[in-house]
Amino acid sequence: MSIARTTALSAALGLALLAIPGTAQAQERQVKITGFGAMSGVVRSFGINSKAALEAAADRINRSGGVTLGDGAKGKIVIEFLDDRCNAEEGISVLRRIASSEALVAVGPTCSNVAEPLFGILQKKFGDAGDTGLQFPIFTDVAIKIGLAKISEWAFRNVPNETEMYATLFKWLKATKPNLKTIYGGVEENFAHSRATWYAVMKEVAAKEGFEIKGESKWLLEDTNFSNQAREAKKAEADIIAIAAHPFSTCGMLKEMARQGVKPKLLIGLTSSSSTETLQGCAGEAEAIIIPTSFAPINDQARAAADAVSKFKGSLDLHSGAAWENVFILKKIIEEQKVMAKPDTVKADREKIRAGLAKLTVTDGLIGKSKRTPDREAIKPYLFVHAKAGKWEVLHTPAVN
Amino acid sequence: MDFYLGLLQIIGVHTLLGLSAYVVLLTGQVSLAQAGFMAIGAYVSAMLTVLAKWALVPALLTGGAAAAAVACLVGFPALRVRGLMLVVATLAFGEAVRLFFFNFDYQIAMGGIKVGPLGGEGFRQIRYFPENGWTTFQVMVFIWLTVGVVMTALWWMDRSRVGAVLRAVGEDEVAAQSAGLNLTAVKVSAMTLGGFIAGVAGGLYAHYTTHIEQGNFNVLVATFAIAYPILGGLSNVFGTLAAVVFIQGFLIEGLRFLGDWRNLLFGALIVLAMNVRPGGLLDAQTMSKGLSALRRLLDPAYGSAAARQAIDGLKDAGAMFRRLIAKWKGAFGA
Repeated sequence: MSIARTTALSAALGLALLAIPGTAQAQERQVKITGFGAMSGVVRSFGINSKAALEAAADRINRSGGVTLGDGAKGKIVIEFLDDRCNAEEGISVLRRIASSEALVAVGPTCSNVAEPLFGILQKKFGDAGDTGLQFPIFTDVAIKIGLAKISEWAFRNVPNETEMYATLFKWLKATKPNLKTIYGGVEENFAHSRATWYAVMKEVAAKEGFEIKGESKWLLEDTNFSNQAREAKKAEADIIAIAAHPFSTCGMLKEMARQGVKPKLLIGLTSSSSTETLQGCAGEAEAIIIPTSFAPINDQARAAADAVSKFKGSLDLHSGAAWENVFILKKIIEEQKVMAKPDTVKADREKIRAGLAKLTVTDGLIGKSKRTPDREAIKPYLFVHAKAGKWEVLHTPAVN
Repeated sequence: MDFYLGLLQIIGVHTLLGLSAYVVLLTGQVSLAQAGFMAIGAYVSAMLTVLAKWALVPALLTGGAAAAAVACLVGFPALRVRGLMLVVATLAFGEAVRLFFFNFDYQIAMGGIKVGPLGGEGFRQIRYFPENGWTTFQVMVFIWLTVGVVMTALWWMDRSRVGAVLRAVGEDEVAAQSAGLNLTAVKVSAMTLGGFIAGVAGGLYAHYTTHIEQGNFNVLVATFAIAYPILGGLSNVFGTLAAVVFIQGFLIEGLRFLGDWRNLLFGALIVLAMNVRPGGLLDAQTMSKGLSALRRLLDPAYGSAAARQAIDGLKDAGAMFRRLIAKWKGAFGA
């Protein structure tokens, strides 16, 4: 055998050996879940944490054997995450990109002003042949503005019900702190969620519980100067100051209030601010602020999830906690609905996932079970946390859980 | 495929926005009011299709006309100032319009729910396209037909006396005035035309995004509006298109996979493009060379069989568009 022939045969054998694991890998099917949200801008921390939570949850599932597909084969969950910069037009483009890929479901977005148009371009009623809207399931983890999922039957959310949370909070305050009579608001006017939470939730439920509304100060998400707003708050002399804003501007306002010596008897914050960003930004000024939240590391499961997410360079809060839960809920649906995860079953698989999500009446969560409503929203368990010495501590767990 | 069609929709609408600024820039004025005009067109046309149940085309034209009327009114006082003062004046106007819609509530009960603009929370459920059976492809073609009409009109205008007048004012106001041109009339006309185009762009934007709010029409959008024609070049309308493709197609969508690095590269690449092509991405010389090459290609004496096949293909596409237009009669209210 000539040297040339030996070399050629060796090369062929080598190539064949290299191809074996490749073939095995090709047989291992992938279940693609694409996350999307703000990875840049003022609210980028939400996107970063969601991405980490999705990846950590997928890693946990894949390490324990993956997902069982419709034909009994095992599949691995593959996570991709795209940045929509909290911009409606980019969000639509990102969703179309995801729908054009082999992704079976999307988890996102971060911002409610992106969620509204996104859900609007989806088919409103499933199976309506006259509606050419996009047919793609979305399982939202962060965008929390009330009542968005009813826009489309392809839209599902695993976000807390703020109306119920704040109603319970104000009822509890009335019962336990009867000396508090008046409330003043601070609202991030140009952020759909913050605005809706103050005007349609906090203000309404506080008034219903008999608190006197002394007015509100307004600012924008990007604002860095809060001197007028803090002055207005000081002038109002309210017992409670409720800040409906995200961590960045919440901290700006709290720091300015501290500088001007505004000391209400109680501070209340927005659900989205019960995160590490608030404590990193202004732990001292936020001391004792009370926030209702759907996540706190109160049990082994939640603590283990928080540890897993931190290994993926994120932190677990009420939003990224939902992203974590979503992956496990989707795993269950994929298995129950017998999703195939083959290139030629993408459309059918998406419909199966939508059907599975629509059927849910209760889901497992990190701090307890969540109920599902007919309009595709969640009623999640919740608790009240307060900032204490740079940490979030559980202050009260309502009996409704 | 759906993604690329969606991207073409975005490029089409942004091209219209850029062209609205292009007209004003021809007269040597820099307007940061285009986002405001776009907002007016968006809200007016969306209210007409959603609340008044108008057909799309009359709603778009009315939205454009409303924006044009406001542009005309704004043009008289604003265009009496020049240079940086005009930039500030138009910026202030754009912000005033945005803040107007920030506080604008007009909702009526329809089918048990309230619909219409709701201040800072915006205006949702502008679902004319999906509810009338328009596919993503058809929406894209409709948008590009609109872009085609506007570009053709501006291309023709550029080569007519009107274009010469606009450019004369832009080149040297004193000389133009000495030649007997009414500067205010010329500038206000350009502003009005720009307002109309921006209004139509806004109407299309509202209908393909299905939800609008004041934040969609901020100063960043106004900056993009003037950046497109400046980056693309003011020698012809195609420069604006080239810049929109560069920014929306390449910098925003093409580089999305870079994650955080995309935002960093975004500005750097724009600066680089302006340095490499100071006359614009598609300056007069490049355009002239391109047109000569196209003429040679289409000339039967030189053209290849492939070129002739391409022309036949274009004819087939024309027939397809005619069929689509027949389908869209409903959009015209017929």
